[in-house]
Amino acid sequence: MKNTTPSGTGNPIDRVEGHLKVRGMAKYASEFPVSGKVYAQAINSTIAKGEITAIDTSEAEKQEGVIEIITYKNAEKLKRYDEELPSLLPDVIQPVLQSPKVHYYGEYVGLVVAETFEQAQYAARLVRFEYRTEEPRIHLDRQRSDAYKPEESSDYSRGDVAAGMAEADEKVEVTYHTPIEHHHPMELHAIIASWENGEVKAYASQQMIDNAAITIANTFQIPKEKVRVIAPYVGGGFGSKLHAKQHVILAIMAARKIGRPVQLTVTRQQMFTNTNFRQQNEQKMQLGAKKDGTLTALVHETLSHTSTYEEYQESCGTVSKMLYKVPNNKVSHRLVPLNLQTPFAMRAPGEATGSFALESAIDELAWKLKMDPIEFRIKNDTQTDPSNNKPFSSRLLTECLRIGADKFGWERRKMKPGAQQEGNWLIGYGVSGASRAAPYRETSSKVKLELKGGKVYATIQMDATDIGTGSYTIITQTASEYLDIPVDQVSVELGDSLFPVTPGSGGSWGAASYANGARVACMNAIRELNQKLNTDEDLSIQALLEKNELSSYETTGTAKPSEAFKKHSVYSFGANFAEVWVDKDTGMYRIKRMVNVGACGKILNPKTAFGQIIGGLTMGAGMVIAEQSRIEPKYGNFITRSFADYHVPVNLDLANIDVVFLPEEDKIANEMGVKGIGELGITSVAASIANAIFNATGKRMRDLPITPEKLIMAEPEPDAI
Amino acid sequence: MNKIDPWDSPNANDRQLSVDEAKILDQLGLTGDSRRKFLSRVSAASLSVLASPFFTAEVFGKAISNNPAASPEELLNVILVDLRVNDTVKPLQLDSRMTLLDALRERLQLTGTKKGCDHGQCGACTVMIDGKRKLSCLTLAATCKGKEITTIEGLAGEDDLHPMQAAFLKHDGFQCGYCTPGQICSAVALLDEAKEGEASYVTEAVGEIKEDIQLSEEEIRERMSGNICRCGAYNNIVQAIMEVQSGEETPARWEFASAEQMKKAKSS
Repeated sequence: MKNTTPSGTGNPIDRVEGHLKVRGMAKYASEFPVSGKVYAQAINSTIAKGEITAIDTSEAEKQEGVIEIITYKNAEKLKRYDEELPSLLPDVIQPVLQSPKVHYYGEYVGLVVAETFEQAQYAARLVRFEYRTEEPRIHLDRQRSDAYKPEESSDYSRGDVAAGMAEADEKVEVTYHTPIEHHHPMELHAIIASWENGEVKAYASQQMIDNAAITIANTFQIPKEKVRVIAPYVGGGFGSKLHAKQHVILAIMAARKIGRPVQLTVTRQQMFTNTNFRQQNEQKMQLGAKKDGTLTALVHETLSHTSTYEEYQESCGTVSKMLYKVPNNKVSHRLVPLNLQTPFAMRAPGEATGSFALESAIDELAWKLKMDPIEFRIKNDTQTDPSNNKPFSSRLLTECLRIGADKFGWERRKMKPGAQQEGNWLIGYGVSGASRAAPYRETSSKVKLELKGGKVYATIQMDATDIGTGSYTIITQTASEYLDIPVDQVSVELGDSLFPVTPGSGGSWGAASYANGARVACMNAIRELNQKLNTDEDLSIQALLEKNELSSYETTGTAKPSEAFKKHSVYSFGANFAEVWVDKDTGMYRIKRMVNVGACGKILNPKTAFGQIIGGLTMGAGMVIAEQSRIEPKYGNFITRSFADYHVPVNLDLANIDVVFLPEEDKIANEMGVKGIGELGITSVAASIANAIFNATGKRMRDLPITPEKLIMAEPEPDAI
Repeated sequence: MNKIDPWDSPNANDRQLSVDEAKILDQLGLTGDSRRKFLSRVSAASLSVLASPFFTAEVFGKAISNNPAASPEELLNVILVDLRVNDTVKPLQLDSRMTLLDALRERLQLTGTKKGCDHGQCGACTVMIDGKRKLSCLTLAATCKGKEITTIEGLAGEDDLHPMQAAFLKHDGFQCGYCTPGQICSAVALLDEAKEGEASYVTEAVGEIKEDIQLSEEEIRERMSGNICRCGAYNNIVQAIMEVQSGEETPARWEFASAEQMKKAKSS
């Protein structure tokens, strides 16, 4: 194989699709010029539990331009769940408008289709529903006696935690709370759906094309081959676009009913009630350690909620099983069914919230032991995954912590809280360790080669998506490297179910899976062209085509995880550092700077990888400073229903961020040595900031978000100040 | 700015042509006699309204492609607006409730302007109206008569990038790209605001503010805080804007640990 070309992997080239994005020319779901399309507006329930008793559509029907109003009374019959509380997986069916029953506030109860968006929006407000209302169950705390053990995330234990706690010299027994958070990608969920000759065509904002096609096919009970999903550009997802949700089904149903293409955009308000969220978690932690810093026990118990019609569990305890060497360990998850929509994966589901609890508790224990929190973590570092006794494929946690400490200037940190001040500001430094699984999934791609004017042009096709992650760019760089041609002779086509199947974007497997999928297709092309010539000379791709007297050639390839992968625990590791300034009178605080160190395999493109990391840090900062969705306690609706109430980080909230990548190529993870990075960035960021707040104020903030009023009202830990 | 106003002047023959009308006719290749002949045939209403079906495709060419959605027959409170976008004028029949954002996206196929919240809270729909950044989702299309609208598609020529677009590309000031047109329009207008000496929430000593202010990083962050980027590219956005403002390179904030650092970290 030829060596890396200057434009191959590892180089910080600009995003290859970037020129389209900065000119506004990249087409997102609702932007395709589909001829004859009409507009739909979905209607939401105004009760959290009960049944529709009457519907009056007469006023809405009278409006100009209204074409159709769909409710459960006239909706197409769809496939229904075969079981109670089915697991919400990315390819699950999504029946909608199938009964008068209402399970949560904001559930879709109708759809208006009209000639224009304005007409549909107005008419939707005129459809009248009457309900028989039941008392909704919306309080995690009050309904805790209904908690059950979910199928998906079973209990785990090793050793004897009671004995481990008994032999500990110092203990931490505390509970952490994280609220409901919403994904809120900037692009509203949207679809333009049409039917032609019994086939569905959907321009839809989806992270996983194949799963979306399966959901649509199974819900309408048609073969998957009759469903085409197209999403060349996706305006962010963060987990909310992993599966085709009910609005996708609604638009397709409406398009079939009226025989015209239907455009349906989920409103920002509906993105609180209809496109999932990260659930509220109560995490009870028990940690014990000996004087020398050896961990003796770690218990991580999570109480959370699911809906009354589907099951989803965010496994917060995962990180506590494997991050530190501790002989006695117990992890459990319990769920309470509530009259809220089903929660679903949001960036680093489990790790983002679980690591807040674990990495805060580790800091609390280090303080009690009077140990430096970095040294405490390093003391309990391990090269063997204690949860399954498999070796880690590579684990550079200690290196992340030490190199980060140097970069950050950790030696300037005072152990005693409040010891660093400037004027009215209390200055604190915080640290946290991070880990996130680095999965890799079977991925296929097609390569098309064309010899034109003495140059080889390659096109790579796969149903992968680029949700801002840089897929177009890293796939281009991979093809450039393995075919040994410049990047400007490579084009990449993504986001179409006609292309070879990939796992889609989610779970941090995108980069590793897509790059290896493209690599195998390129290598297959070279091997096959060599075979035709019956030679094993090291010929360029151009020479191979020329000697074969071919002006074009195409082939496919599939990459799969190796046996070695299965014998190892494969994770990315990292460390986060934060400097926070707290105003001692008001509790207002500013994150002044952050340093992140990542050991996440080969970095395919440091420029786009940096973007992934700072994006994660920004969302992690959001968890601390502002993000929370609040529920009205009687009616069960969200009272935070817009960006005016649900605050996501804005530009001024952020500070300088420096990112250090550790040079590593994890060849056990996959042949290219690539590991996931998209979710590592958010993992444990919240803890590093909360720990910095402790270092500044002596206050342990265990309830996110840490708002100024909570901070000013909190009492410092005894002996901290 | 010169504008075509068909409602004030029912007969295009009776008056002096505006600069834009002349430009349109020039682009059509109509000069001298042929121009006079053409104008005599379109006496019933203004040039722009009558002529548009004939030459929309050519004149609005690449920037404004043909609208695939047929105009609905029945609109509530129909109004007619000549929308001047990116130096071209498009006469539109609009529902009076239509926002500028929806007019751009759904009627003119100028989908570079994005709908992120439809409530003026995210900035994705930012365009420039008469040179000032405005939220097109809070602007009714009907109020734009006679105004000069610049969208992301109109910032630079077809094959060029505006310096701000180039800086966003170079500094990776975006990820998914959805908030990007709004961020860029906002950033371009922001530097003009600095030139004009407009104060912000974080400006210290407002009384002493002068024209041509060099914005600090904090000033840029504050002034860009109306544009949400959920992907979290803020730091790269700030770098891009600072580079355009100062003309000096802003270095990348990532690095690889050296072999020496790795060795030291392992052994200590």
